[in-house]
Amino acid sequence: MATTTLVETLTQYFFVIISAPLYSGILGKLKAMVESRHGPSIFQPYYDLWKLFRKVTIIPADSGVFFKYIPYVLFGIYSLIALIIPVLIPVPIYFTASGDFLSGAILFSLAAFLKIAAAINSGSNYVTLGASRTMSFNFLSEGTLITVFIAVSLLTATNNPYTTIAFLTSYSLENLSLTHMFSTLAFFMLFLYETGKIPLESSGLQELGMIDEGLNYEYSGKLLAVAKWSAYIKQYLLGSVLLNVFLIPWGLFSTSPLFLLDIPVMLAKWMILIFIVLIVETTLAKLRLFRVMDYLAIAFTFSILFLIFVEVIQ
Amino acid sequence: MNYIDSVVYLISSLIAISAFYIQGQEFIVSMIRGQSVQSVLIAVLAFIIAWEERSIDFFILGALIIVLRAFLVNYFLQKRIPKQKSYIYEGRVSLSYLFLVDLIFIVISVFILYSIAFSGIFLHSFLENSGNSSVLVFPITLFFQGLFLIASRRTTFTQIIGYVEEENSLVLFAMFLLPIPIIIEASVFLDVLALVVISSIVVLEKFTHEPVEELRG
Amino acid sequence: MITGNLLAILILLIPGFPGIFYRSRIKEMSVAAAAIDLALSVIMYYVRPQTGFFFVQNITVLFIMMVLSVYLLSTIYSTRYLKGIENMGIREPTYYLLLNLFTISMIFSLEVNNYGFMWVGIEATTISSALLLIIEKTETSLEATWRYIIIVSAGVTFAFISIILIYYSLGTLSVSVATAMHPHSKIMVLAVSLALIGFGTKVGVFPVHTWLPDAHSEAPSPVSAMFSGVLLPTALYVLYEVYEIEPIRQLYVWFAVISIVAASIFIGYQTRYKRMFAYSTMENMNLALLGLAAGGPLGITGALLLLISHSFGKAGAFYSSGNVLRFTGKKNIADLSGLGTSMPYTSASMLMSSLAVTGAPPFGTFFGEFLILSDVLSLHMYAQFIIVIIFLATAFISVNYNVTGMLFNGKGPKNEKDKLMSAVSVISALIPLFIGIFYMVMYNEVL
Repeated sequence: MATTTLVETLTQYFFVIISAPLYSGILGKLKAMVESRHGPSIFQPYYDLWKLFRKVTIIPADSGVFFKYIPYVLFGIYSLIALIIPVLIPVPIYFTASGDFLSGAILFSLAAFLKIAAAINSGSNYVTLGASRTMSFNFLSEGTLITVFIAVSLLTATNNPYTTIAFLTSYSLENLSLTHMFSTLAFFMLFLYETGKIPLESSGLQELGMIDEGLNYEYSGKLLAVAKWSAYIKQYLLGSVLLNVFLIPWGLFSTSPLFLLDIPVMLAKWMILIFIVLIVETTLAKLRLFRVMDYLAIAFTFSILFLIFVEVIQ
Repeated sequence: MNYIDSVVYLISSLIAISAFYIQGQEFIVSMIRGQSVQSVLIAVLAFIIAWEERSIDFFILGALIIVLRAFLVNYFLQKRIPKQKSYIYEGRVSLSYLFLVDLIFIVISVFILYSIAFSGIFLHSFLENSGNSSVLVFPITLFFQGLFLIASRRTTFTQIIGYVEEENSLVLFAMFLLPIPIIIEASVFLDVLALVVISSIVVLEKFTHEPVEELRG
Repeated sequence: MITGNLLAILILLIPGFPGIFYRSRIKEMSVAAAAIDLALSVIMYYVRPQTGFFFVQNITVLFIMMVLSVYLLSTIYSTRYLKGIENMGIREPTYYLLLNLFTISMIFSLEVNNYGFMWVGIEATTISSALLLIIEKTETSLEATWRYIIIVSAGVTFAFISIILIYYSLGTLSVSVATAMHPHSKIMVLAVSLALIGFGTKVGVFPVHTWLPDAHSEAPSPVSAMFSGVLLPTALYVLYEVYEIEPIRQLYVWFAVISIVAASIFIGYQTRYKRMFAYSTMENMNLALLGLAAGGPLGITGALLLLISHSFGKAGAFYSSGNVLRFTGKKNIADLSGLGTSMPYTSASMLMSSLAVTGAPPFGTFFGEFLILSDVLSLHMYAQFIIVIIFLATAFISVNYNVTGMLFNGKGPKNEKDKLMSAVSVISALIPLFIGIFYMVMYNEVL
């Protein structure tokens, strides 16, 4: 049993770390195909990361000590989160007990805060612009993140996402319950914001509409590679929670050695999510910056409203 | 929860969402349409109750709601929008703050009202836990949404819509609570109609309501 | 033999009768109808309708007589007042038609035996009186009209929730049956509290009184007189009928006290005389609410005495204000001086009215306030008593300071252009004096 758990732990950890950039690559390729371009290959993010690791790291003269070390700390935080929440294996593994689901949400907030602190510490003006934007939107998005993570507990009276997955797979009709549907919707809106998709943020270095990307402006070389990788991992973690706990809780195996089958199952589920995100990205236009706050307010309203209603109804 | 319960709760929450939609709108035509959607949802609830209770009264009520609120009020208000502007834009609506204040308002009012007083009310028997009168949260929420809409906006149309929303919440409240005699409902409807008629006269003259110096203090 | 029911129906419908003469002589017919109706209502004191559709107690008859008297005075006054308006929002026959409908809806609310119909009556008063405010069509009056409509309607809608709750828990909406039952449940407490806010919007309870100064100051004077004199007491009557189901004395008394405090504070910094009188109405109404809520026979007698004297006194105050506005065209207190010499009759009536509404002896309002306060004292509500006395004194000083400032400083040329308007205002201001003297005489002779 112990070895099974150990193998499961290692599988989950390495799967998360290694496959995280793949999804951005797939999304990029599919978007290009929709726009009638050839587009980059799906492994392009890997090539980019490899290239960045071999480049020289340049650090601004005005930066402080945070700037140099925070990307590694972020990587560590996201690794810890990768073991706490159900992103591959639907049963708890080693290190899962080090924090419950809500602490996962708080860890996300911690990571965001550290990233912003590091960015401001770089002493550059553009980055501070991006940091101020991120801060002014984060107050709504953090609230939504926390309430959505709490919404997991509304169905099963416990904050344990693994229990929720088991509950939802055995009582399939609960998937259509009011609270579940609307918290899924709120989480999806949040996912689009946190991972920087259109309609909220457009990536590309000339875009002044950057919100999250702006924080990476001053990094270069190894630090940039680590920062980008952390961003990919964050995208994977949030999307996996959305898939495994909210949208499609079925299909995950927990016994040995069937848990190795979880890998292709997760890849398949991610394809569904990528497909949905693709439709959203290619049909909508980017929102103006002050509208982003309205968008987040709507997501926040959904999550809080259903928290209130469910509390009263049940 | 059985099916009827879920459906009733779902429609009631959609009614609450439509109230938020109206709150966040800048274009007046969209607000009027949102209000029609809300009235149609309430009528659907009336039909559901009519079906479950086998009562013809609720069926007539639902039909009346659709005819009077969803169609007539809609038609009347849309006719009043000046012809040269097929849309009217109300500027400076900062949605996020309105939503947040709205939410706080709802939370406070709902919890206070609900937890203090309503614990002893019995509703229609087809709802599964009819001893738990929790579905009354929705009409109360809608009522305060209507009040907040009146308080937070400045154009006459929006305030009329807020008032119609309040009356909608009353109908919803009465529908859940008791087999109400039709006469009372009819008087409520006629009252809204008369109000819309009078407002249409005022609307022609005065469109926005800024604070007036003479009427201060 | 006229039965009570027929009498009630006649009293209800006679003000509508001049509507037939819309094209021709609606003014004179309205005055005639008002006079006939007043005579009939005196008869109603002796011949009551059965309790069925109508529910008429002693209090109700007094209220009806009050409504019709002020209606008569206002119609007479309006015949002259409307002559000077340049930019009319509605035409003159429409004004009289709406005034009649206004009266019908008030009498309907008073007479009928069903809470739902009372609510409908109150809403009908809003609808019929709203357009009366735009007879002088200015930006400000349009704004005041809209505020009146929307605030009162939104507030009175609250009251409908309480009516639904009453129907739910008692199974009946009939006033006579409901006040005879004495249910004690949390739902009834909630219903009566909601009714305080709901119908209290019409009565002028803080904090939902905000339409009151705007509507009173922008309405033409006869309409203001009807608002202060009869509309608010009618709403107070409806509120009292709801209160009787489950008397939550503490809540009502405290709200009344807070409203009196607020009204006195607001009077202190007013710069326009009509608004000042409007806040004085709010204060008096809440004093009557205090008396009705305190509840003993002293309190109720005091409240009735106060209401009746105040109706005529406030009507006189508004008629005088209308005279001043019509003759001088000025709205601010600071702009006016020396009215005592330029308009002797108007200033006499204004002085008497302001003394009447602030509760100076020997006007009837003084005795009313005295009885109410002694009732409050007898219930050992010492804090409320002291607070009310302090703020009543404050209001007394503020109002009379302003009025004497307008009347006695300086001299001016004779400006009293219309005799009938002045006569009506003087008559209206004298009536509280007579009521007060009558009460004093009766008290000493009979008791």
